[in-house]
Amino acid sequence: MSGRAGDGRMADAVVVGAGMAGLTAGVRLAEAGLRVVTVAKGLGSLRLAPATVDILGYGPDRVDSPARALAAFVAAHPDHPYALVTPGVLAKSVNWLKERVNTYAYLGDPEVNMLLPTAVGVPRPSAVVPETMAGGDIRALKHVAIIGLRALKDFHPALVADNLRASAVSGGAAVEARSIMLNPPTGGEADVGTLAFGRRFEEAAFRSAVAAELRAALHDEQAVGMPAVLGFDHVGSVWTEFQEAVGRPVFEIPTIPPSVPGVRLARVLQERLRRAGGRFVLGAQAVGPELRSGKLVGVRIRTAARETVRAARSVVLATGGLASGGIEVDSRGAVRESVLGLPVWGRPSGAEPGFLPRYLDEHPMDSVGVRVDRRLRPVGPGGEPVHENLHAAGAVIGGARPWREKSGDGISLSTGYLAAGAILEDAE
Amino acid sequence: MRGFSTVLVERADLATGTTGRFHGLLHSGGRYVVKDPKAAQECLAENVALRRIAADSIEDTGGMFVTTPIDDPGYADQFVQACIATGIPVEEIPVAEALRREPRLNPQISRALVVPDATVDCWQVVWSTVRSAAEHGARIFPYHEVVKVTRDGSRVTGALVRGPGGDEVQIRAEVVISATGAWAGRIAAMAGCKVNVLPGKGIMVAMSHRLVNTVVNRCESPSDGDILVPIHTVSVIGTTDVQVADPDDWSISHAEIDQMLEAGENLVPGFRAARALRVWGGVRPLFQDDLPAQSRDVTRAHAVLDHSDRDGVERFLTIVGGKFCTFRLMAQDAVDAACTVLGTQRPCRTADEPLPDSADGRFYWMGSRLARREASLHDDQLICECELIQRGRLEDAMVQRGTANLDDIRRILRLGMGPCQGGFCTFRATGILHQAMKLSASEANRAMLEFLQERWKGVQPLLHGDQLRQAWLDNWIFQGVLDVEHLPGMAQTREHAPV
Repeated sequence: MSGRAGDGRMADAVVVGAGMAGLTAGVRLAEAGLRVVTVAKGLGSLRLAPATVDILGYGPDRVDSPARALAAFVAAHPDHPYALVTPGVLAKSVNWLKERVNTYAYLGDPEVNMLLPTAVGVPRPSAVVPETMAGGDIRALKHVAIIGLRALKDFHPALVADNLRASAVSGGAAVEARSIMLNPPTGGEADVGTLAFGRRFEEAAFRSAVAAELRAALHDEQAVGMPAVLGFDHVGSVWTEFQEAVGRPVFEIPTIPPSVPGVRLARVLQERLRRAGGRFVLGAQAVGPELRSGKLVGVRIRTAARETVRAARSVVLATGGLASGGIEVDSRGAVRESVLGLPVWGRPSGAEPGFLPRYLDEHPMDSVGVRVDRRLRPVGPGGEPVHENLHAAGAVIGGARPWREKSGDGISLSTGYLAAGAILEDAE
Repeated sequence: MRGFSTVLVERADLATGTTGRFHGLLHSGGRYVVKDPKAAQECLAENVALRRIAADSIEDTGGMFVTTPIDDPGYADQFVQACIATGIPVEEIPVAEALRREPRLNPQISRALVVPDATVDCWQVVWSTVRSAAEHGARIFPYHEVVKVTRDGSRVTGALVRGPGGDEVQIRAEVVISATGAWAGRIAAMAGCKVNVLPGKGIMVAMSHRLVNTVVNRCESPSDGDILVPIHTVSVIGTTDVQVADPDDWSISHAEIDQMLEAGENLVPGFRAARALRVWGGVRPLFQDDLPAQSRDVTRAHAVLDHSDRDGVERFLTIVGGKFCTFRLMAQDAVDAACTVLGTQRPCRTADEPLPDSADGRFYWMGSRLARREASLHDDQLICECELIQRGRLEDAMVQRGTANLDDIRRILRLGMGPCQGGFCTFRATGILHQAMKLSASEANRAMLEFLQERWKGVQPLLHGDQLRQAWLDNWIFQGVLDVEHLPGMAQTREHAPV
């Protein structure tokens, strides 16, 4: 069995992981004509994410233009994955993504950060976002209504509005914001989650009932902010029709997982992968390398019943960092890369604690991960690639603090794009 | 209950000193039976009394003393003898039966002895007791710290206390009782008296689920990490015993945590790979006038000190020593002494009159929250999935407590105490608190950041494995998605947040 994929063919590339990085690499490779198999333990972290492509929000001061801030940021953080990403690559990968999302649009570019309210009302810098969210850029807003949906416990409009009012933006006045709690028909259900509301908003009757209630409650607000639940596959038309019915611009605000906008983008990219001939194998945990004479010839996969081998010419490791299980720490503090046992960098040394007492401290363990060369190949202690045909992408690469920098999807998109590019160069 | 007009003051929230910092084991007395039969007898009597008055806070898990491979095989016979002599019901069961009841137990155990241990929710007992006291006219002031014990000559006349806003209030009283545990020496000093308390620090580690459903003790002289207690949705291993100079020293070392995980491995093989949630320390108030070398050898029994005999200071009593299980008896003895001081005899009824919510005598059981949830499945929101807390109960607790502090709510409802450690409920509870208590945005923001800090405090020293993964998901939610580090007006809080 060794040397052959489960379906009897050797894949050109096996991609491990179905988050932003893995899907980007997988789609790009498949569209270039390679035989791609994406294996994933679960549905992928993208479905939990706001699906805004944050490139660089804080470094640590708030960044106005990621493209222009990048050089200085990399100079100050030489081990950061962005050290491998030029502004040109960033722009290319962003355009690549925009071209692939067809049922709605992504707006913005790495030149400018928008400031979009979070679900606690903090104006958060983000560069490339769904068109349904871009209207929330508070640099252009003066007077908004923030609406909640009574049965949704994951969005509290009064807190969003209060904090927005208190959030003065440099060079601009604070936003005037008022909250409205709507009570949409839920068939008597008191506890309706974001995904369930996402499905309901795809129904025209539900939409118009909410729009009617909202219209009656609005005063002279210039725009309406609401939780990001405006449907899945038809979000473009759902959003357009809802705005028309309300009579004002409406923008979505992403909230805590699970994420409707995350599911949208994950579905779009998975569909792209499928249409390009790529395979997607779910419930398949990668557990180790398949080696022949020391050379990586595939990945061992554990499915429900047994262990199999996915043979491949190239492997993309996009398993994520500590949050996704791509990097693990055991009870004795040992840090390991969980699939291939690759060398891990950035771990605290000796007696140094991994975590500091204050929650918002920068913790020594924050930025652990593998280190890669310019072709995105994980390297050993001497800087040499561990395998010629192994590439890493996304949060498994150390050196970043993505949730603090607001850089997660930007790193995943650009390194996924670059890892695929390196494999395509090898294939030529 | 004895008809006195009483005021209770506590420097922080109730049960945040030592009471809320133990593992939740309601002793049968077995743990002390060989070495300290007096303490064992008290435990047994109070175990019976608390089952009668505080059933709603107690889960009747039963307890088991097991001889593990590292234990002296002869101890079990001594243990059985001592239990019989003390009156603790004890039954030896075959090892196979013990393993059938608790399949995760170390299969190498050689003996298993069943005793009537149970588990008890310390906060629920405290709040039920407080409700009962309030119904009898007591006034309760949490977050009021004693700054001075006032005297008129040799006679104590009351206390000067500082409230949450910094305002000072003089309380006048016929008699002052110091029930301040490991802090008793400090309060006594304010009255010009001397009390020697040995603060003995112990740490506990909570695992994310119930590895056992029975309290499991090693059948051996009490030592470190020899108790595993199933309580609510988690199980807790404890504890250590380290003398500390400062009763506010709750620091936790890596070595202590590792010692607990290793001890857990002996009781339940695979313990190290199970998901460790959280760690905390508590300080035992061990009383002795002459300092011995090892605090665990000090008696756990308590003492009531009348300072007129000891220090020539009248109308001032200290109740010290003891342990959670004997809190009722300690209170009884202290109030008996106060009656003597006041020259009156009034009988104590606390051993017989059930606390509010416990009148029906039904014990707490694991499914009770789920049953409550199922009864209102479509009518109420589930705010904390881990601990099954509904929105209605949360709002009621906020309004009843009148608090803007989510940690106060935690101690009432277990908010944020389950496997996700507040990852989801903190955000929801903040939004609800903001509305229910009509808070300003900055008050709500502070409540959220302080609760995040409070949760982080207990996970940070032992983060690894799946709990680290959870903590990183939580970070990603709060910092990545919500950007809480840039909440308006919070720079101050970040600088000065309590550690």
